[in-house]
Amino acid sequence: MFQAKFRSDILKGIVDVVSTLIDEAKFKIGDNGIQLKAVDPAHVAMIDLTLSKDAFDQYSATETDLGLDLEKLKEVIRLSRSGDMIEMRQDEERGRLVVMVGNVTRRMNLVSTEGMSDPKVPNLTLPARITVTVDELQRGIKAAESISDHVALNANVEGFEMVSDGDTDSVSLKLPKALLVDLQCSESIRSLFPMDYFSTIIKAIPSGTNVSINLGNDLPVRLDFDIAGGKGSVRYLLAPRIEND
Amino acid sequence: MQGFAPLPLDPQTFTTSNKGRSSLCHICKGSKNLCGKDRCPLMVKFYSYTKTKRLIDTQDLHGSSPPGVFVGRYGYPKVDIGPLVPPDLGDTLIMDTPEQWMGKSMDEIVDFRFRLVRGKHLVDVKDFQNGGRIVDFTRELALSVNSVDVEARFSKKPSGRIVLDDNIQPFGPSAKLEKLSITNPKYDHKVEKAYYDTDLKAAEAVKGLYKNEVLISRIQKAFSVGAFGIEQNRRLVPTRWSITAVDDLLGKDLLRSTKTFPLINEFRVYDWDQLDNRWSVMLTPTSWRYELIEAWYPNTVWNPAGRQVEIISSHEFFDGRKDYAEIGGCYYAARLAVNELLQRERRQSGAVIFREAHPGYLLPVGVWNVRENVRMALTQRPRKFNTLDQAMAYVQTRMDIPISTWTYHSEVLKDLKHQRRIDDYV
Repeated sequence: MFQAKFRSDILKGIVDVVSTLIDEAKFKIGDNGIQLKAVDPAHVAMIDLTLSKDAFDQYSATETDLGLDLEKLKEVIRLSRSGDMIEMRQDEERGRLVVMVGNVTRRMNLVSTEGMSDPKVPNLTLPARITVTVDELQRGIKAAESISDHVALNANVEGFEMVSDGDTDSVSLKLPKALLVDLQCSESIRSLFPMDYFSTIIKAIPSGTNVSINLGNDLPVRLDFDIAGGKGSVRYLLAPRIEND
Repeated sequence: MQGFAPLPLDPQTFTTSNKGRSSLCHICKGSKNLCGKDRCPLMVKFYSYTKTKRLIDTQDLHGSSPPGVFVGRYGYPKVDIGPLVPPDLGDTLIMDTPEQWMGKSMDEIVDFRFRLVRGKHLVDVKDFQNGGRIVDFTRELALSVNSVDVEARFSKKPSGRIVLDDNIQPFGPSAKLEKLSITNPKYDHKVEKAYYDTDLKAAEAVKGLYKNEVLISRIQKAFSVGAFGIEQNRRLVPTRWSITAVDDLLGKDLLRSTKTFPLINEFRVYDWDQLDNRWSVMLTPTSWRYELIEAWYPNTVWNPAGRQVEIISSHEFFDGRKDYAEIGGCYYAARLAVNELLQRERRQSGAVIFREAHPGYLLPVGVWNVRENVRMALTQRPRKFNTLDQAMAYVQTRMDIPISTWTYHSEVLKDLKHQRRIDDYV
């Protein structure tokens, strides 16, 4: 059973960060909130999202899985203005989700969650942690995405650097310690990532958000940030490119 | 097919002298005039040779159409359409049924294709429903299952221009039609049903017929004469475009469910050799991604003047591609063939197709060659491997071109080699 009422921008925040990786999602509904773990089809990136029931104006649920088509949720969001309330109710008999925005009622078929596995979250020790506002990263991405199909994330005691080396041009975004919200790094660290994934992930994060970049040498990067005014959190994991031979 | 007198084919006739420089021909494939000349010198050389070898020297041709039709693309939306007719009577079905050409030699294929005279009649692609008897008869031929006796009267004797193209099967000389009559067409019932259903969308018609096991060459033929679709949307589609339209449409349709199937568990390599082409199809235990890499040796069709092997490739990752594949219609033909295997097994995988075209591959014989060869490769028993390196080491034993070169030209192989997965860290 699931029934909830919440502001439309809460839903938008969730759909934006999840739909960068997948088209259909299995939300795990619980007594105290919502959880989602998913990998993209190529298994290169992962999202781990939790949202407390405190993020909702009304929330009542018993444990269940909801399979949702994110494109349909986007259509619902487009019907609403920021600040509008959205109501959702699971229709268990018909296997539907009933969504009400103002005077509009949309009934959508749920997606079967049978084939959707629960991915295991890797347990990684990542030695560096850089916290920065996402806007800085978004500017760096804008400068770098036409340059190369991969991007290097570097950190040392002095700061953080994002470097994109193409065949003819290169771009680097250098953020010394003073421009960072926080820096915990005791050695020189570098990993390389696919640009298309990194840029779509960064672009999906709402501007003004503080993002913690957890980094190692030739290891996945983990991006941690809060959503819904601190009542929810997202962890993105992105696997590296390894330059052997 | 017995009894067709062979056309003498000397390999040297069709290759230009080695000019000692790399050429653009393997990219252009005779269609884009990349060399800057008005007409493709390779083609011209070939035409001039064949002009002297006229098979057909008459204004009145009586023969059995396989059945075969051709819709031209030059001058679109005003195009030449008409039947393909050989000077032979009887069952000529094989002449326009590429699905039956596997195992035939280059000489055999070229021999019977060059006997097909193309009748031409200029018509607008949209305004063809009342295009007259020639258009009606051409459509009836395209919908027929059996060879159909045809009497054609041309305004001039067919001229010896023989069409060679990377996408379409070659065919012989052509001439303007003055009069056309046909006897005893027998419709393919499934195709006929789609033809009379004027509320059925063309894409649905194509998918439905394919599921009902109608040959792709037959679907494509009917598609080209505007036999499918909602009535007011029907139009003629140039043969070249209709081949790729059907391959693309069917491949995309299969892919929608292929992408939901569980992954295969190992790397596999399927091998096949034909017409001096070496094929290896590698399937990878990953989500869908696909690449076709072709290596053209010097003195092959699309690399006549080169000193070195020319390699070109096109690829897509899970989300597919938006622009037309650099490599051409063969990309879509092979993609369909790979998806047919994955559908049979209800499994998902990635696919990288390696093709080495060696110098015995003299003449372009059409996209069917790629589709049928990849289909054939995928009916062989695959070799299975645990790692990409093992699979590539095996491919190396089959191919002359080094793995490093293949990888350099392959986005999918590079990604497999360099990009880690989340699962690697669990």
